[in-house]
Amino acid sequence: MTNAWRAAGITYIQYSNIAARVLREALRTELRTDAAKRNASHVKFTPWANGRPAPRQAQSES
Amino acid sequence: MMMQRTTLLLPMAIEATMLAQQQRGMATLKTISMRLKSVKNIQKITQSMKMVSAAKYARAERDLKAARPYGIGAQQFFEKTEIVPDEKAEPKKLFIAVTSDRGLCGAVHTGVARLIRGEMATEHANTKIFCVGDKSRAILARLYGKNILMVANEIGRLPPTFLDASKIAHEVLNTGYEYTEGKIVYNKFRSVVSYQCSTLPIYGGPTVEKSEKLATYDSLDSDVIKSYLEFSLASLIFYTMKEGACSEQSSRMTAMDNASKNAGEMIDKLTLTFNRTRQAVITRELIEIISGAAALT
Repeated sequence: MTNAWRAAGITYIQYSNIAARVLREALRTELRTDAAKRNASHVKFTPWANGRPAPRQAQSES
Repeated sequence: MMMQRTTLLLPMAIEATMLAQQQRGMATLKTISMRLKSVKNIQKITQSMKMVSAAKYARAERDLKAARPYGIGAQQFFEKTEIVPDEKAEPKKLFIAVTSDRGLCGAVHTGVARLIRGEMATEHANTKIFCVGDKSRAILARLYGKNILMVANEIGRLPPTFLDASKIAHEVLNTGYEYTEGKIVYNKFRSVVSYQCSTLPIYGGPTVEKSEKLATYDSLDSDVIKSYLEFSLASLIFYTMKEGACSEQSSRMTAMDNASKNAGEMIDKLTLTFNRTRQAVITRELIEIISGAAALT
């Protein structure tokens, strides 16, 4: 048994985040503005190798 | 243009320092009032920073209460299954240092880095570090730069969201480093004035599957475990980020409070010397006038 999200090639976290985003977008307008704040993320990643920041091979979408 | 400026400025600066050195014995009114003004400005800044972090702290604590169940629930799984790391296989360790980008908050970030440094001191061949926040990177890069796997920054400006945490978890799983056991190092919030640097254990998929007590849970196959571990990692990171953010804000509040207090003390002292010097100047001038008048008569 393979799960639908595995078959699509994404992890469970990505799957649940997509579901959460859809749910937030489906909210009523007055609730949606508040929920939209929880939809934001600003984290940036830098891979390191041998004690130096290394260039990223491929940008992965979450 | 720039060169001209610096060549002009340099002798002036030297002159100014020489002047300052000459006057060290007896500071003039002007220098004291200048310092007094700058200290007052610093106090204003630290006071307003305290206000800001107090407001942010109130929000972080409220958020933390809501985030706690995520952490507790995820921890329960590891407790109930009683996972023991496989001794035979070569251990591949991972440390996740949960800090933020921002400083001026006491020893919050240093505590996390110190704990990791302590663990790395004994054995660091098969260990990697995932730095969440620039501060842990700055401290750990000097000694264990080669062990750093990835750095996540832009953390601490806004309160952490679950999406942030799940992005980090996604990167942790996607680095290609198959860790067998790991630790999330973070600051556990206890009260407004205290936090405790603590760790949470995490395990890789194969290690979990080998656990004997796994039968406690029904209908588990490797696919379910994989999905669950992904989610549990995200929730654990979310929880630790919230704990860390709350400790950081509370610690910044205390640090800024202390700074304002120190500035206040300095202002008191400087005002005293300022008034004393002013008095001395007035007295000297009076003596000059009176003795001058006495000499005339």
